[in-house]
Amino acid sequence: MGYPEVLAEPGSRVLMLGNVAVARACLEYGVGLASGYPGTPSSEVVEALAYAASKLGYPYVEWSVNEKVAFEVAYGAAISGVPSVVSMKHVGLNVAADPFFSSAYTGVEAPLLVISADDPGMWSSQNEQDNRWYGVHAYIPVVEPAGAQEAREATLEALRLSGVVKHPVLLRLVTRVSHTRAPVTVGALGRPRLRGVFKSNPLRWNLIPAHARRLREELIERWRRIEDLVSRSELNVAEGPRDSQILVVGVGIGYRYAREALRRLKVHVRLVKVTTPIPLPSKFILGEVEGRNAIIVVEEGDPVFETMLKALLQEASLNTRVYGKRSGHLRPTGELRLEDVKRAIAQVLGLGYRGPELLEATVKPPPRPPVLCPGCPYRSVFYAVRRAVKKLGLDVVYSGDIGCYSLTVNKPFNAQDTLIEMGGSVGLANGMSHVLGDKVVIATIGDSTFYHAGVPGLINAVYNKAPMMVLVLDNGVTAMTGHQPHPGSGFNAVGGEARRIPVEDVARGVGVDSVYVAEAFNPRDVEAKALSALRDVGEGKVSVVVARGPCILVAVGRARAESIPRPSYAVDPSRCKGCMVCYKAFNCPAITPSGDGKVTINGALCTGCGVCERVCPFNAIKPASYVDKRWWKLLGLTESSVGGG
Amino acid sequence: MWEVASIASRESFNIVIAGVGGQGVLTLSRIIGEASLAGGLNVLVAETHGLSQRGGSVVVHVRIGDVDSPLVPLGEADLMIGLELLEVLRNVSYMRRGGFIVADKLVIPPSIPGVTVPSVDSVIEALRGLDVELILTPASEVAEKLGDVRVANVYLLGRALSKTRLGAIISFDSVARVLRGLPNPELNLKAFELGYTGGGFEG
Repeated sequence: MGYPEVLAEPGSRVLMLGNVAVARACLEYGVGLASGYPGTPSSEVVEALAYAASKLGYPYVEWSVNEKVAFEVAYGAAISGVPSVVSMKHVGLNVAADPFFSSAYTGVEAPLLVISADDPGMWSSQNEQDNRWYGVHAYIPVVEPAGAQEAREATLEALRLSGVVKHPVLLRLVTRVSHTRAPVTVGALGRPRLRGVFKSNPLRWNLIPAHARRLREELIERWRRIEDLVSRSELNVAEGPRDSQILVVGVGIGYRYAREALRRLKVHVRLVKVTTPIPLPSKFILGEVEGRNAIIVVEEGDPVFETMLKALLQEASLNTRVYGKRSGHLRPTGELRLEDVKRAIAQVLGLGYRGPELLEATVKPPPRPPVLCPGCPYRSVFYAVRRAVKKLGLDVVYSGDIGCYSLTVNKPFNAQDTLIEMGGSVGLANGMSHVLGDKVVIATIGDSTFYHAGVPGLINAVYNKAPMMVLVLDNGVTAMTGHQPHPGSGFNAVGGEARRIPVEDVARGVGVDSVYVAEAFNPRDVEAKALSALRDVGEGKVSVVVARGPCILVAVGRARAESIPRPSYAVDPSRCKGCMVCYKAFNCPAITPSGDGKVTINGALCTGCGVCERVCPFNAIKPASYVDKRWWKLLGLTESSVGGG
Repeated sequence: MWEVASIASRESFNIVIAGVGGQGVLTLSRIIGEASLAGGLNVLVAETHGLSQRGGSVVVHVRIGDVDSPLVPLGEADLMIGLELLEVLRNVSYMRRGGFIVADKLVIPPSIPGVTVPSVDSVIEALRGLDVELILTPASEVAEKLGDVRVANVYLLGRALSKTRLGAIISFDSVARVLRGLPNPELNLKAFELGYTGGGFEG
């Protein structure tokens, strides 16, 4: 995907996502290395930097195997004197937490910026954790921009701060900063520092307890210095009447909501914008609190600032009332909403506020959950695996994981009994396998997720003899987040060639004896191999089935680029018996009931994957146009697997 | 801070764009964003990404003018551009009374086996019962005739520009300039112009 705006002319004002503004600022600063693992809403930071690197030849950019490794990549470069950034979604920082905490003890030689994009409202996540707590917990300062332009400035400031105190800094983004496109005025690109020097100093870089105890003392001291520096940061600003009785504090994007709410309510009070919430910019805040009767805190996520502000007021022997999420004036869950912030401020100020009466239609729309795309190889795989399970009459648990296949939680697949975290499918399957008796455990995991955190769980299963079938859904990319490459892709973040590390080689290498590779677009092949694998599990083995076939969006794109025609498919109504296997069990969105008890194929949605032809028990679905053999090859199908189908 | 050309300095214009993943909702929002910026206006485009995109409901908020926060408040949308009618229905609570809904006369059934889908007529009747100006247009039908159903989005934009206050905020020419920078500019421009003039219905 292209991000030409990240290389916009210096001084120009261009529309860009907050994430792209962050990437731009990294280039302006002269960052030499960037790493990350994709995850909504963070992915565009590294994507935009990779785009820039493919054009400029610098900085060094990589998609790492997981967030822990990504963190260590940037950390290693930063202690070697190269300004580095690492980017991930909020839950990714859980994976990277171990080195994250240690990095505060050692500090860094060159700036290390840790970018965490939080997802309040859980648009694409399993939780809405507020990663500013990580800053409090690990003694790492947090910088939190209010929008896209501020994201540029905050990134530059965070890199400078990190360089000055030689300490990592956490940039906290949220969905509406990361994924809101807004005008951004950009500066000139900086000269990157690409080569570093490692100065051996075990007293600093080696965290044996004797060293760590001393470093802990130094850390606490450094934290005070950081507190002093952020108290003087120009990114924390105040506006409005100085003699106001009320103080409104907008933290990060909270400032944007607070500012607009005050304007719409026509209320003139003091408003403070806090961009550096952790550590609390105490001197600055105390200067603003003096003489006020009440403080309203508007922040997205947990009441982190609100809680710490209360501690600060207690230390300063002030009993100014603080309103926010702890007081119940703002909702503790989900994203901020302008109408909620208006209501909260009006309530504290004793103003009457009534929101508009909302329109409501008499007809309610049916839900429209996200689904596997038409032509998704996973549809074929789950259809086939469920058939194999049924044929053997097994009682199974599907231990699920994070990726596009998570969508099979819904009917008709019902194939994600659990979904906890990245790699959790295999890990949980270990425990289930030991305690569930006759139930057969099937862990379903995507290729990218397998490399990310599935491998240790698989090794554990082999070592501790936990019989299970691990179904690896291998579509060649990290599909859900936008087709980023991984160790199985054969190419890297900037589009260069890379050594491919096939899943089956990893499985055999860690001692799995029962390994099968199936063509994902060939349900008969998947079914046959799943049957064998499940029989192996019955004999107490750990079994791996790699179902391989490209993400259909990638395949369609390649077909277009290489001028390979895709077939279209049609239903022969004289043969269709209306059994509804293709609609109800296979459930392709391109197939819909035609009203006469039969089905029809929507040509606009049909991708030409051809699986429905192989699924139809009555040979009623046929290609309606010429089928180019190169298309089958693109889908990973061999001649024999499509012949006669 | 920024030059405000066609919208009073303390005014804002809120747009909600609703549709189904893959229909070009994001592209449409970006076109409006770029055209607004080209006209010297402040604009915020709050997008939907990731899991929320795969064939599911997609809604993008576009706010133009004197705005700070990225999301359109409930009850305050001046305009909804609807690429699909069930998604219009899902988002009516964003509409201001008397606001405009410019929508395709299209219902795409959700891909849930056995789901009950209201008919196009019953959805339209429900929408007509609301205190909004409803402008329905066969956008995808025209787009399909033009050769690519995906240009239904710019057809609707053309309709919205000629029929609502959006036309006084972003100019026809600024949109056309953005479209010229897209892949397949001729087709996009053609669909946009047809939407603007209300043409392409016959045949």
